[in-house]
Amino acid sequence: MKKFWKTGEPYVLATGAALAIVLVMTLSLVGVVVSNGLGYFWPKQLVRFELKDGSAALGQIMQHEKNPISGERRLQLKIANRDVFGQDFRWIDEKDITKRSLPADAMLLERREHGNYFGFLKSVTAEGLDIPAAAAPLETLERALKLVAEKNEASRKIKGQMSDLNNRAERLRLKLLKLEYNGKEQNSAAIAELTTERDKAMTEFNALNEQSSASLAEITRISASFEDVSGGSKEIALIEIVAHQRPNSMSFIAKCGAYLERVRELLLDDPRESNTEGGLFPAIFGTVMMVLLMSVFSLPFGVVAAIYLREYARDGLLTRAVRIAVNNLAGVPSIVYGVFGLGFFVYGIGGSLDSLFFPERLPTPTFGTGGILWSSLTLALLTVPVVIVATEESLASIPRGIREGSLALGATKFQTLTKILLPMATPGIMTGLILSMARAAGEVAPLMIVGVVKLAPTLPFDGNFPFFHMDRKFMHLGFHIYDVGFQSPNVEAAKPMVYVTTMLLLAIVIVASSTAIYLRNRMRKRYTTSTF
Amino acid sequence: MKKNFTDKSRRNDRLAELLIRIGGVLVIISVVWILVMISRVALPLFYPASARVAATLKLPPTLASARVLAVGTEENQQGAFLLDETGTFHFLKAADGSTSASIKAPNVPAGAARLLSAEYIGKSDYNLLWDNGAVSLVTVALDSAKSPDGTVTVNHDVTARDELAFAAAGTVVQSFARQIEGQGSVRIDRLVGDRIRLTRQLLETDLFGNEKRSSETVEISDPLPGRLSAIAVDSKGHYLYAGTGNGMLQRWDISEAGQARLLDNIQASADRQAITSLAMVLGDVSIAVGDAKGRLTTWFPVKLAGSGEDRRLTRIHTLRPTSGQATAILPSPRDKTLFTMDNGAIHADHMTSERKLLTIELGSPLLKAALSPKGNSLCALDEAGTLRIWKLAIPHPEISFGTLFGKVWYEGYDKPEFAWQSSAANDDFEPKLSLIPLMFGTVKATLFAMLFAVPLAILAALYTSQFMSPRLKGRIKPLVEIMAAIPSVVIGFLAGLWLAPLIDKSILTVFFSIVLVPLLLLVTIFFWKRIRINSPLQRLTRGQEFVAMIPLVVLGCYLAFLLSGVAELHLFGGDFKQWLYSALGVRYDQRNSIIIAIALGFAVIPIIFTIAEDAISNVPRNLTAASLALGASRWQTAWRVVLPSALPGVFSAVMIGFGRAIGETMIVLMATGNTPIMSWSLFNGLRSLSANIAVEIPEAPVFSSLYRVLFLSAVLLFIFTFIINTAAEALRQRFRKKYGRY
Repeated sequence: MKKFWKTGEPYVLATGAALAIVLVMTLSLVGVVVSNGLGYFWPKQLVRFELKDGSAALGQIMQHEKNPISGERRLQLKIANRDVFGQDFRWIDEKDITKRSLPADAMLLERREHGNYFGFLKSVTAEGLDIPAAAAPLETLERALKLVAEKNEASRKIKGQMSDLNNRAERLRLKLLKLEYNGKEQNSAAIAELTTERDKAMTEFNALNEQSSASLAEITRISASFEDVSGGSKEIALIEIVAHQRPNSMSFIAKCGAYLERVRELLLDDPRESNTEGGLFPAIFGTVMMVLLMSVFSLPFGVVAAIYLREYARDGLLTRAVRIAVNNLAGVPSIVYGVFGLGFFVYGIGGSLDSLFFPERLPTPTFGTGGILWSSLTLALLTVPVVIVATEESLASIPRGIREGSLALGATKFQTLTKILLPMATPGIMTGLILSMARAAGEVAPLMIVGVVKLAPTLPFDGNFPFFHMDRKFMHLGFHIYDVGFQSPNVEAAKPMVYVTTMLLLAIVIVASSTAIYLRNRMRKRYTTSTF
Repeated sequence: MKKNFTDKSRRNDRLAELLIRIGGVLVIISVVWILVMISRVALPLFYPASARVAATLKLPPTLASARVLAVGTEENQQGAFLLDETGTFHFLKAADGSTSASIKAPNVPAGAARLLSAEYIGKSDYNLLWDNGAVSLVTVALDSAKSPDGTVTVNHDVTARDELAFAAAGTVVQSFARQIEGQGSVRIDRLVGDRIRLTRQLLETDLFGNEKRSSETVEISDPLPGRLSAIAVDSKGHYLYAGTGNGMLQRWDISEAGQARLLDNIQASADRQAITSLAMVLGDVSIAVGDAKGRLTTWFPVKLAGSGEDRRLTRIHTLRPTSGQATAILPSPRDKTLFTMDNGAIHADHMTSERKLLTIELGSPLLKAALSPKGNSLCALDEAGTLRIWKLAIPHPEISFGTLFGKVWYEGYDKPEFAWQSSAANDDFEPKLSLIPLMFGTVKATLFAMLFAVPLAILAALYTSQFMSPRLKGRIKPLVEIMAAIPSVVIGFLAGLWLAPLIDKSILTVFFSIVLVPLLLLVTIFFWKRIRINSPLQRLTRGQEFVAMIPLVVLGCYLAFLLSGVAELHLFGGDFKQWLYSALGVRYDQRNSIIIAIALGFAVIPIIFTIAEDAISNVPRNLTAASLALGASRWQTAWRVVLPSALPGVFSAVMIGFGRAIGETMIVLMATGNTPIMSWSLFNGLRSLSANIAVEIPEAPVFSSLYRVLFLSAVLLFIFTFIINTAAEALRQRFRKKYGRY
């Protein structure tokens, strides 16, 4: 035993414990995110409770815990029906429960507004729809929903046309503005022509608008009547219903189907209810777009700087200064980049661009406000060191012999570089690129200042000329987490959505960095010759 | 080979070399550029104020300068006006000095022949006091517009307003009239023989719409301690201040009709010099006092120790003395700047920052001066009959080194304090922009996080590089690197919305874990050899011990959780937080420094770990081999041979982690309450420099003081991390040189 202490084995165990703590922390972080994120979409059973005071409650059990005041066990129930009950959740003491049951016909509705509705279907008002009156309410509801969806599709098309017209009118307005700015008199003919064109577009728009609101009014009349657990009835227009399910009578396969449908909605649909429901498509799209645009700037810069450091620079003051600069670029707080982006890109360059090219639009800024271009430039600067370090490392791992062989055969330095070294270093450069993308995807602080918004009305890339709108603001997964989790009015109800977003972001980042690390390790192995 | 081709390749080679060199140098340029650009925005905070003479006008020959009662100018320095004793406003054009109009004040009170004085009460309004004691109110509108072709038009108008009118009341020396919200109006008269009279005029409207006027007059009966030399009233008519010839300052509460209550009677001038001028600073809290020696001080009522709820006038700021007697004080209508007039000069000082802004020297003694309604032009009339108009450029008067980094006694505070409060609901609010609470927050968060992270990260790195089997190392290292890639917003979110409520439920678990996990470890170590022989643990070969530690850690935390429940129930009366508050007086925030320590620590652990592990692994294997060959155990080798050699590298890892923790934004933003308080308590939140930027910059108006102060804090963060990173890099380079291989 004494020897055991003397050789220091206990200390080895202590260091092992430190590593164990670190690993436990990492795993529990991932575990918490995954368990909270994955479970959210699974159709949970709707439980009906009868309470001692004679009332009843219907909802999904969220958690059990000890009441901190009375010490009794209690459970948290999601009762939904925010518009009826005023809140989404309630606590029920377990001693108050007299009976619990799983009513087979309890229905969960996802609505466009006011969150979910839990209740029982009573009847469907389906005037003018081709549905036999004798059908059961549920069947009627399903068929009516299908018909409403078809009709809605038609009005969606009209909406699309309207948005095109609106865009055209906006472009004409900007053209007009430019002409007027350049001199009303000499451009009067063109102005008149454009004005008539714009008026035409507006009339068309108004006609379509009327058509659309008429059809909307028609659709809105189709509704279904529901009853909640306390007996109150509620008339809900079918157009308001996004999805419906009866979780208590669903088979496992049906639940899987519902789950996958929710995942599809998450990835491909727009958010609803100030981002706390619906999909994440604009945020995913904005993140990807910004990261790609950023790589266009950071990759060449980073690779060139790394080549300079590894292949061209001689050891001297300048090289050391460059190294220090690289390290500082990596170490300067990201918020400082945001501040720099705001002062230099947005108000400096953006402001100058505005007064040079878009003076007619002022004081409405075009580039003089946060946008995707400025965000990606800011992040490019932030992630350049990652590319530099990875590229340099991969260049360093190429054995000297290969360089010397190429030079001995008469190739110039540049030829050696492009024909031999860069192709060999590609996995390393890819590693750097992927790592920098992962970093950029998760970085939020600078973006909050230079162009991310809570809800962007349009994507930075769409079918309208010039297709890629560098000046637009965009949505971002990381900012979505911060915004929904910390700034939304109903944090408790928004939490599941934040967990899902977090899981998605974490998955993207982890997959990206694992790929990068795998690539790098393979690259290292290729050239490492160990002597020990 | 064609010569052409070789030439071309050579040319390409040279071109490429040039471009690549430029690319390399561009890295340095971008770092310098970042610093330059953010400093450039912050720098104007410290620019000096300046005043440029925009126009020098001669008085019209018909108007002697002694007869002028008030002067005024407008925002663009294009026009000025003079009010003479007949009650006529003479408007002058700045461009050529010509009189563009002379307008007699409308509705002159009945029986009034001559104007005695005019008091500017803000927003272009003047109270006129006539020789028969009547008071009337006029609004002077003066502005200019510049058309696109460069011609300037000056518009002017004088309108009468009747909401503040008092009838004749005998001989009055000086008079202040104030409107009292919803309660009519009050006039405060200084009468001959140092008497002060208050007249309250009530206008009541009964149910039938009949208006009834009533008035009530009292004279202040408290004896004055000396000859009355200056008098001032706040804009709401609540407080009356009087200064005397022997340096006493008195304050009365006149807010209730029919009475004046003496609140303060203090010596304001140390050597009993006469108080020559009094003025309310914008916001109506502070009073500026100027004395015969030209000293300028500001005062406001403060709750002093031992005086209960009573507030006593206290000297707060002492501004720079002027050269002669302070004849008048002009408070800026926009901020807390004071313009003091003495015989031959005007001095501008800012109250909060106590900064000397400007001194405008004039040849001859000054008679009257006034600021434009927005406070950006100044005009003054001297005895020689010259009227000068200045364009003032006072960029950020409230910012000085003292207000940014020192304790400042803000209005409404009981003592000088470090405070950060950038905005409030009202415009006349005193911005509190001290960076000290924020720097304190940054230091506190970083320190706690480092306390948590450094031991864990370095020990784990030591284990990974020295004791772990190489095959496992190949798996564990990437895992930690992936941990480094976890976005800070994810960590912040979990810390704020998952960990904080969890710890809130049982805060004791944290403390018990800190004790229990090592204790459990100790117990295990005691029995390690015995356990190992007779259990599946035998299968864990050397270099895999940490696997056995994982359940140990989990078990320790779980035991701590169980124990804390018991302890809370029996030792702390069932609620530790309540006990904390009642027994120790410590307030508990849900998002506190413990959360920060764990979350921020979590973020820097992988950074320190990776760099430290690299450094430890890079110690040449032959050192280790030699030590082991000499019979040292693996721990002795690691602790005595490897770690000391790798120390510079490990130290640089800690520094880089430190630099990262200082600038981390999202975690601190989400896991604290962002309250800028200065307390070392573990149970309170904080606000860091970086989180402060993220919180405030979207709201800060571009190029305002707040905006520039936020840029200044970014500069500080930059410089601080620059120093740390450069030092760490220098250390690392030395370390590399020592052991050759990268």
